[in-house]
Amino acid sequence: MELKEFINNFAEQFDETDRTEFQKNTNFKDLEEWSSLSALTIIAMVDEDFGVAIKGEDLKKSTTIEDLFNIIKSKL
Amino acid sequence: MELSKYGVKLKRLTKDKIELVRNWRNDPKISQFMEYREYITPEMQENWFKKIDNENNFFFIIEFEGNDIGLINIKDVDYDKKEGEAGIFIYNSDFLNSTISFQSVLNMFDFCFGDLRLNTIIAHILKDNIRAIKYNTALGFKKVPTKKEVYNQLYTLNNEDYEKNKKNILKLLNL
Repeated sequence: MELKEFINNFAEQFDETDRTEFQKNTNFKDLEEWSSLSALTIIAMVDEDFGVAIKGEDLKKSTTIEDLFNIIKSKL
Repeated sequence: MELSKYGVKLKRLTKDKIELVRNWRNDPKISQFMEYREYITPEMQENWFKKIDNENNFFFIIEFEGNDIGLINIKDVDYDKKEGEAGIFIYNSDFLNSTISFQSVLNMFDFCFGDLRLNTIIAHILKDNIRAIKYNTALGFKKVPTKKEVYNQLYTLNNEDYEKNKKNILKLLNL
């Protein structure tokens, strides 16, 4: 799994946020569109696309998209 | 009364906590999503508590990891119609937009459909609160069609739709 691929998949879960806002250093919880449902959607995406089960706690611990990517990578 | 499930504890609202709830409720970050947005005085809050401290209304403080973080409720329970109206807000910013709200809702809805034996849970959602509409839809709520477009829209959830969606959500939450 590459970081670029992960950022693309992450961005695909959002309808109203411009793609350019999704970078490795993006603080995803600061995105206006971020919500409880986004949290659930990201957990589902990670499970489906990368076969890794993450928890709400993993999202809480992550600030940037890259932080979350690193947590997922450690679980592969 | 306490409901402990799915990693969260719901504690029935008691009088000693109504000032905490009043402060949360008066904060614009919460009141902006409410139909009633005027300032709530201590006296108004006491009167409100007298009206809801009964078996037709269940308001719970959400406790997570020892912190009181928000409020969830089933109100106006009609035991003949077997329905009640749900509501939730998370005040603590650390847990806002996290999976905690889903854990809290599943905990309370199990109580509503199980213990209270309700058939339907209703929710009123302001038309422009897109976030809440998406959230409720994920839980299985469906919008009740109206002839005219209204600002405060009615959504309903039945037990069957709830169980289907709950199963998926629990799987995602690893619970």
